[in-house]
Amino acid sequence: MPGTDARGMSSDPYSAEVRALFAAPEHGGVLDNASCAAVEDQGVRISLFARVEEGIVTGLRFQAWGCPHVIAAAEAFCAKSEGSAASDLLEFSVSGLMQSLSVPAEKSGRILVLEDAVRSLGSIVRGASKH
Amino acid sequence: MTDRSQMIYLDYAASTPVDPWVVEAMTALMTADGNYSNPSSTHAAGRRSVEYIAHAAGQLASLLNTTEDTLVWTSGATESDNLAILGAAYYRRERGQHLITMRTEHKAVTDPFSELEKRGFEVTWLDSDANGLLDIETLRAAMREDTQLVSIMHVNNETGIIQDIQSIGALCGENDALFHVDAAQSCGKLPIDLAALPVDLMSVTAHKTYGPKGIGALYIADRKGVHVEPLLFGGGQQRKLRPGTLPAQQIVGFGAAADIAQSRINDDLGHLTALRDRMWAGIRDVPGVTVNGDIANSFPGILNVSVEDIEGESLLLALEPLCVATGSACNSKSQEPSYVLRALGRSDALAQSAIRFSFGRPTTAADVDVAIELYRNGIDKLRCLAPTRAA
Repeated sequence: MPGTDARGMSSDPYSAEVRALFAAPEHGGVLDNASCAAVEDQGVRISLFARVEEGIVTGLRFQAWGCPHVIAAAEAFCAKSEGSAASDLLEFSVSGLMQSLSVPAEKSGRILVLEDAVRSLGSIVRGASKH
Repeated sequence: MTDRSQMIYLDYAASTPVDPWVVEAMTALMTADGNYSNPSSTHAAGRRSVEYIAHAAGQLASLLNTTEDTLVWTSGATESDNLAILGAAYYRRERGQHLITMRTEHKAVTDPFSELEKRGFEVTWLDSDANGLLDIETLRAAMREDTQLVSIMHVNNETGIIQDIQSIGALCGENDALFHVDAAQSCGKLPIDLAALPVDLMSVTAHKTYGPKGIGALYIADRKGVHVEPLLFGGGQQRKLRPGTLPAQQIVGFGAAADIAQSRINDDLGHLTALRDRMWAGIRDVPGVTVNGDIANSFPGILNVSVEDIEGESLLLALEPLCVATGSACNSKSQEPSYVLRALGRSDALAQSAIRFSFGRPTTAADVDVAIELYRNGIDKLRCLAPTRAA
């Protein structure tokens, strides 16, 4: 079972923040007329949608198929990144989210799919802005 | 501590609450004003403990329709399985070293068999059909002259599927192979008549039938050639088969639980059948949902379902405050799909999405209705969140 220690005793595998983000993913869904990046790897599927105005991310939405940590991380990213510079997307790292959400090390591969998706989104946004 | 006020417990296949009458019976053997003495002591108090234990043995024997002297007390089904499998294999080593079991058995059975493989025994691991049932012809084909032990569980702990232990036992008898049955999920829940069943060894436990944890028993048929070698030594209790001070209060608890089960087994089955049918009727139209097992041939206290394109760990969290079991037989390092469901031919994804609902005496129709709503809503939520899979 997830959250079972070496003695076979259970423990809560999710932090309070993960539980809250999973329970109410306010940025779950799609954005029409927005840039979109989709990545599938490690048994995880993530799609990100971004609306950018004058170099600022004004809207973000996500769709995700994965474990609760993946969904919570995607929600946390969207919530924190609205209002930031679109160029920051290219530099995004999941290390901060891994720490703040207490993601188990064995799930790092899944969470890195989010990093790939965000950077891919950054590239798409940059390409769109050049045209 | 976790707040239990909002929990809806649907994991009775994992464990059950101890019946209040059982608690009362046990308490009388634990406190200073009760009979807490060591049953191995020869004084009057010790002899009184022996009487309590004998009474409890009679209660369990009555439930199983056997005699008290065929029962050996253990710490639970896992120990009973180990004593039966390792003990019988060692005892009959000279007769042959071929053993047969199924891939869908509980770990308490598969692990002792794997251990015997390491120690030079040969094990044939039988596959089930897609519903989890053993085809008797598959077993017949696996039988050999040197087959000395067959172990097949009565009710599967994950799917609830009921094996035909009458036919399996008869075939074992024809081939002079001992037949062990892990009845952890059926003792006290389904009628078991050991006087009529061709079963040589049967493992039972108390805590899955409203008795305490930490007590089980192994039935050893009183027939020529049926015996096990002990795995523990010291003290000589229980004819040296399983030494150690007998936990009188645990045994009395098991006896009381057996007595209650015997008095209401048909009522319990009717209650569980109604709950299981209500649950399935409430979710069967969810797109992509499928039963793991065969409802027509299953213990009604268990309903195991998988659903297409849903991530199991997220579904489990979405179902809270339901307490249910997942289809993952995993540890803290990984979440691997259930080997039982994989053996039934389920894909990794489908096995990983499995949820086992198991019902008990305290379960109400209202509990089931909440479970239906949470299951449907959880799947809707996760499907809304999921991106469309690339073609």
